[in-house]
Amino acid sequence: MPASTGYKSRLLAAAMLLALTACTTTDVASVEEPPAAPMTGQTNDPAPGFESVKTGSEEDFILNVGRRIYFAQDSAKLDSVAMATLDNQAAWLNRNPSWLIKLQGFADDSGSESKMKTLSQQRADATMAYLASKGVDARRMWARGYGNDREVRDCTERSCKVQNRRVVANLRAQRDES
Amino acid sequence: MEWTRRNILLGGLALLGAGAFQKPVYAQASSYFAGTAVDNGVTFRVTNFAKIDKQWHRQVVKYFSSEPIGTVVVDTRHHFLYLIMENKTAIRYGVGVGRDGFKWFGRATIDAKSLWPLWTPPPEMRKRHPELPESVAGGSPKNPLGPRAMYLHRDGVDTGYRFHGTLEPWSIGKDASSGCIRMFNEDAIDLYQRCPIGTAVQVLPHIADQAPPVTEVNAVE
Repeated sequence: MPASTGYKSRLLAAAMLLALTACTTTDVASVEEPPAAPMTGQTNDPAPGFESVKTGSEEDFILNVGRRIYFAQDSAKLDSVAMATLDNQAAWLNRNPSWLIKLQGFADDSGSESKMKTLSQQRADATMAYLASKGVDARRMWARGYGNDREVRDCTERSCKVQNRRVVANLRAQRDES
Repeated sequence: MEWTRRNILLGGLALLGAGAFQKPVYAQASSYFAGTAVDNGVTFRVTNFAKIDKQWHRQVVKYFSSEPIGTVVVDTRHHFLYLIMENKTAIRYGVGVGRDGFKWFGRATIDAKSLWPLWTPPPEMRKRHPELPESVAGGSPKNPLGPRAMYLHRDGVDTGYRFHGTLEPWSIGKDASSGCIRMFNEDAIDLYQRCPIGTAVQVLPHIADQAPPVTEVNAVE
């Protein structure tokens, strides 16, 4: 009966929609940023927003400067590689003065939760002080340590842990407190 | 000696390499560079990206896999190197794959990296080109490693596999006669900044599935 077939296909469509929704997962790392819409398409397609990158845009910052610097275990000292990235960040921020910058520090080194919180704050503070020394107005920046919250992922192997010892520079159009 | 297809292929590549070495492509080279820049005190020629096919430019692409964030994936077959980022994206770099880039595949970590590294031509290359010196100083305009090298180790042992820069930007996107994974010098500098010591790397199999095991692979470049 045609009516029944129509109903069945609608039911099937609804079931497929549910199945699609169930597949949607949120990466742990996405807590650094609001979770993005589930991605469709194929590997090697341009990522959303990166189809054509405008100078001075957030995409330009991500692609041509880089948001992340890394630290040695139990250290908040900026090494020469971190300073080289921060030099590029400072130059970019000085060329694009309308952006504000939120510096998020992370740590999952050895020690208690409160020690990690302190270490991550020291990392973010050291980063902010360095950017200020390179001419970025301190009023454009704020720094916060998240300890071992918001890890790239919870892990034990070295290649994963090195990812968690970091400061991420997030461009912002206005101040937020998250 | 057992002759495999790979040996014959490599022999052919070596001959091609010898030809290229004796006849530098000066006319071609000039338009592949646009001015100079200074990096850590070394003046080098800047790649003229207007001359380079867009697909080899550094770009952010979708990347669907379960590889963790921060992992480097090398696809030698398609001449791409990916650095995995959040939300199913990756920074993609075009690469040239030298024959040593096909000698090995698998998982490793970047355990060492250097600025303007010294280049020691491997013995078999010096046999083909006796005019080559024992080593070429870091920062020399004749040093094929360019501004950066990243060294892949596995369980603390050097695999002989490296990412490095190039003197020949036109070779990006192609198979090359020598070297491992070569990148535009600007990209080698960029990747160096983004990969802390300990970064996980996966090199996908290409003709490396016919290659000798890791223990037989000598350090090259």
